[in-house]
This record gives sequence, structure tokens and C-alpha cells, in this order.
Amino acid sequence: MTKFPHTDKPTAEMDGIQLAYPKGPAVLDGLDWQLVPGQVVGLLGRNGAGKTSLLEVLLGLREPQAGSVRLFGQDVQRLDDATRARIGYVPQHNDLFDGFTAEHLLNYFRSFYPRWNQAKVDGLLSRWDIARDKPVRKLSGGQQQRLSIIRALAHEPDLLVLDEPVASLDPLGRRDFLRELVEQVLDRGTTVVFSTHILSDLERVAFNMAFLSGGRIVLQAPLDELLEEMRLFTGSPAELARLGLAPLKRTPLEAGRERVLARLPAGRELPAGVQADAVNLEDLFAELA
Amino acid sequence: MDPTHFVHINTGSTEPIYRQLIEQVKRRVAAGQLKAGDEIPSVRELAQALAVHPMTISKAYSLLEMEGVLERRRGLSMVVAAQHRKAQPTADRVELLRPTLEKAAAEARQLELSKAQALQLFKTILDEQAP
Repeated sequence: MTKFPHTDKPTAEMDGIQLAYPKGPAVLDGLDWQLVPGQVVGLLGRNGAGKTSLLEVLLGLREPQAGSVRLFGQDVQRLDDATRARIGYVPQHNDLFDGFTAEHLLNYFRSFYPRWNQAKVDGLLSRWDIARDKPVRKLSGGQQQRLSIIRALAHEPDLLVLDEPVASLDPLGRRDFLRELVEQVLDRGTTVVFSTHILSDLERVAFNMAFLSGGRIVLQAPLDELLEEMRLFTGSPAELARLGLAPLKRTPLEAGRERVLARLPAGRELPAGVQADAVNLEDLFAELA
Repeated sequence: MDPTHFVHINTGSTEPIYRQLIEQVKRRVAAGQLKAGDEIPSVRELAQALAVHPMTISKAYSLLEMEGVLERRRGLSMVVAAQHRKAQPTADRVELLRPTLEKAAAEARQLELSKAQALQLFKTILDEQAP
């Protein structure tokens, strides 16, 4: 679906994922998704759309009722240790051990990974103002979240999954964090999946956007391409039909008019009654998520 | 060149970031602020300074190279291309403003503002931001 060069084997492949909670409706409903190396994908969806469930299924933390997930070519339920060590995850709610100090915690995790960038860890602990010798439960919520990010970056993963990681970072802390992400991409070609409601952050670092709605990825494409090609058309349904658009979303308006999100048809003159407005990421979110 | 002040970007825009970079570099070359042979920040430096995906920067640089604004030196660094020795004539620089003003004019008409009202606003904005 994307024009991103598929230079290498996919980092992650999800096929036909079906997930429902007991007695609930389907959260993921026949979802297919692919991530290729070096891609930074912004995952966009409303609250309750199933972003966290999707990321948990991707990582093998939650088993779907149907479908397959492969990470680095391996079945996610049967990853070997070397492959597991290539993954980093910042969950929405941190899962750090309360009684450990930051230093003990990081030393503990360090023992699991063949690679560990201690210089990065030391730099981030200082820059992000995290006391090394305090028990984790005595750190503030923001400090715990930052520690969780440091833990996920320390072993320089090839796949980094971030579920609302920056809610309690201030703007400077967020910028610092985004720079770390960019560095990972530059140095290692890390594949990053980034779910956040802070659209301005996504716009910077995420080259591709994926929209989750109705239990599926309804659209994934480079943001540049979406901004250049997508328009919000308004007019009467008859006028809009004549344009031969392939609507991604239609919304009825007052007075028998309609609003349609679609790609701008190449070389077609717009009829007088039809207006075509450029969109930004927020517009796309409102229409597609 | 300090990469943090080389260009700045607006998020929330309908204009893609790579396009914003291209237009800003072109304006600075047209104004003579960037001249032939001036080295510009590397993809890595600028991606880190702006916290932007490196592919966005390299896309902008490649297009600027294709349009003859930048050229690649032996090795990896990019410089302003040889033909841009001095600022462009005023008439050409004015032309660069046309697309933005055409867009503003279309919006002024949609808002049913008079010519004088729109010009007054433009004048006020120019005065506000004068150094």
C-alpha cells in the first residue's frame, strides 16, 4: 500500500488478526499490517479503537482468536532469545519493579541483552533527571515513564514499540526523546511504531501514518503523500459523483451537500460547485480515525 | 552552519515538512543569505536538530539538487550550487512570494474582504515583524 521502498524483509507481518474480549464486539477484525525496516510509523486511532490491543498482539503479549503475527520472520509466540532481544517496548503504563532503584533495575535488564549502550543510559539518566539510587516507587509518574523509555532504548532494539510514551514529558523532554528516536533510525535503521495523541510529534518523526478504525488499518501511507494528494471535497452528491473520486470517507452535510475525503484526481477540472480543501494531519485524523 | 537555525518547520500545516524545507532554502538562496559554495547541514545534523525523520531531509535535499539549488561535493556534504553567487534581482524575489499571496488572495475573496482590508492586514503584519 505504501510507496516506501521495500528494501528488506518486513520487520513485522500481521495477517487476518481477529481479536475480541469475552462477550465484547471485535476489537481487531481481520487486520493486516506490515512494517518494514527503518520505517517510523505513527499509529493513529480514537480512544478505544484498539491501539493498545493491536500493539500487544504485535508483540505477542496478547493472543488473538485468529490470524498470524511474525516478527523478523519468526512466529511471535515462538521467538528465540536473540530475536526477543531485538525488541523494545514502552507500554502505556509502566511495568517497572517498584522496589528496585533505577540503577538496580537497569543492571537487572542489562543481564538479558547481548548489546547494551551504557553511555546512552548514563547520558539519558542525567539529562532526564532520574535519581539512580531511589526506589522506583518514589519516582514521580513522569520519571517512571522516562525510566521506562531509557530501558527500552538501552539495548538498541531493531523494533521499538511505543504506546503513548510521552504523556508526562514536558515539551523539551519530548523533543529530546524524539531526537533519540531519530538517532536510532540513523544509526541502526530501527523500525518504530509510535502511538500518541500528540500529532505534532508524529508529524516530525513518523514518515508513515497508519490509521486504525473499525478493527483494521484502513490506510497506511507516507504523510507527505497524504498531504499532497488528499483533499476534502464539498459539493452536491451528484457533482461529486461526476469527479469519479474513490472516497475514503463521506459525510452528509446540511442542504443535501456532502463532504468527501479522497485523492485529488490528476488533471481533472473541478466543477464550479465543488470546493477542494487541502488537509493537515488533524483533518486526516478527524476523517479517518 | 548551525543546524538549529538553518530552517524551521511548522507542524499542523497542510504543507509537508520536506516542502517547507525546500521553499525556505530557496528563499534564503534567492535573498543571497546562502551563496555558492556555502556548506549546508548534513542530513544527520538537520534530522537531529529538527527531530525529523532523516528521509524527510534527504528527500528535500535531493529535490533541491535536481532543481540546481544545491550540489553534492565530493564526499557527502552538500553546498549551494555554483550559479548562486549573489542575491536574485528584486523582481525574481517578488515572484517567489506569488504562490503564498495567491493563496491569501483566494482566502480573502472567500471571506469577502475588500482589497483595502486585506492589504491593510498585510501591511500591519509586515510592520509588526520588521526587525
